[in-house]
Amino acid sequence: MDSFEILLEGSAREHGHLCPGQVVGVRMAMLGCERIGLNDPRNSLEEIKKLIVYVEIDRCATDAITYVTGAKLGRRSLKFIDNGIMAATFVNLETDIAVRIASTETSRDLAAKYAPAFLDKGQQQLEGYKRMPEHEMFVIQPVKVDIPIHDMPGPTRFKAVCEQCQAVVRDKKEVSLNGRILCRTCGLGGYYTVPE
Amino acid sequence: MNNTSPKIRIEDAVGLRLAHDITEVRPGEYKGPSFRRGHKVRNEDLCHLMRLGKRHLYQLDTDLNRIHEDEAVLELATALAGPGVTFGHTPQEGKLQLKAAYDGLLKVKCEPLIDFNMIPDVMCASMHNNTPVKKGACLAGTRAIPLVIDRAVLDRAVLTARTHAPVFSVKLFNPLKSKLIITGNEIYDGLIEDRFESVVGDKLGAYGLALSESVILPDDEARIANQIQTYLEDGTELIITTGGMSVDPDDVTRESIRRAGADPMFYSAAVLPGAMFLLAYKGNTSIVGMPACGLFHPITIFDLILPRLLAGEKPDNRDLAQLAPGGLCLNCPTCRFPNCSFGKTG
Repeated sequence: MDSFEILLEGSAREHGHLCPGQVVGVRMAMLGCERIGLNDPRNSLEEIKKLIVYVEIDRCATDAITYVTGAKLGRRSLKFIDNGIMAATFVNLETDIAVRIASTETSRDLAAKYAPAFLDKGQQQLEGYKRMPEHEMFVIQPVKVDIPIHDMPGPTRFKAVCEQCQAVVRDKKEVSLNGRILCRTCGLGGYYTVPE
Repeated sequence: MNNTSPKIRIEDAVGLRLAHDITEVRPGEYKGPSFRRGHKVRNEDLCHLMRLGKRHLYQLDTDLNRIHEDEAVLELATALAGPGVTFGHTPQEGKLQLKAAYDGLLKVKCEPLIDFNMIPDVMCASMHNNTPVKKGACLAGTRAIPLVIDRAVLDRAVLTARTHAPVFSVKLFNPLKSKLIITGNEIYDGLIEDRFESVVGDKLGAYGLALSESVILPDDEARIANQIQTYLEDGTELIITTGGMSVDPDDVTRESIRRAGADPMFYSAAVLPGAMFLLAYKGNTSIVGMPACGLFHPITIFDLILPRLLAGEKPDNRDLAQLAPGGLCLNCPTCRFPNCSFGKTG
């Protein structure tokens, strides 16, 4: 794997700017890969096939995590769990070893301790997060993730047809409601409305 | 079946890749795989394997017509799991657990499941039909029995499951607009305090629902019927009445429901407590007559029927009769429902 500095530079470029979230995400991803025994999944086809990453927030750090690991939604190696928590879980499919890493809230205030020369809060965090020890920056938990078969990478194994809108629903995302097989939009309501 | 697979003496097994997970049981402490399929046996593993009683290991012997248990169980689970049911990607010790993909009502097609289990070399055990389940709950477990199963047998099992698909499914609960009519002169006149509202409210609350409205009425057939009519017209989807279901001259709720136009109407059920339960329908609205036993017993027939109504089902008199085996609450000193025989039909 490339050095922290090189990864941070690339991550910031991909994301659009350098920010504390990039530092958190890059460190989180490097640590996650190391803990599950992967060296450089982004640049190794063999390793990327072993990796699933669950991210629990859609903020800056998430882009850094995907940059460092190479995990992508379209490859099904990246899963977004909308918990609003700055955390990610890294799973090695070959060994079943998984680790969840969460950013500590205390690290926000501790940043000043590690970057006293900076008065601006954002700069403090940007520099402080680079220097902060792992145990102050993160909570690291070995975990077990029983990944459902429908969330695995690979060809589509499951298809259903929504009885209301006829959309083909892949990967067991259909629901059974009042005796009908429906897509989630028809069964549970959608995130959009169609203007009259 | 596996007698045809070559055996290797444990002393000669170094370098062999294990053909299956090897289970270790330490009573009261651990049961699970100590060695996984594909593990390359090392010198230092031999003592451990011998402690587990292993003197021989199988050499993997599969081909197009002889399917390894791990591949077989993925096919079995795929065929058994309908909407709302999923399973992990990695079999453990040849088994897969089917799990609920969301909260809802587990539906099990019992006859096809029995047919499936009549096929030699496969099995599937499940929770009971009509059990409310939470997302992630284990619903069933399936496996191929031998280490290697004949393709023809596996295909027969898969076909049996597919022909009757879905053998397992989970129905979503509907957020029904629910209203309560509490009947009884003694409550209406203030002689005793109502407790039905909190009882029913708590039971609906367990499914994330709340009563939209509740009203207390005397044992007056016309007034109760009018109230039901009002609720029918305002789009209420579940009308729950309490009391007035028995045989006393003042018990008029059943007639009130009939007078409001409910049809069909099923009175009495093969369940204790709950023999005088009433279930009726008008249009898309379900009407439930909860007898007074609902005040005394923490769990009654209402707890068996409510999840089915929320799942969009319209149980009829046959459904109520089918509750007979398992329909007897044992009134245990400490109620363990749903982890008991009550409501576990057949």
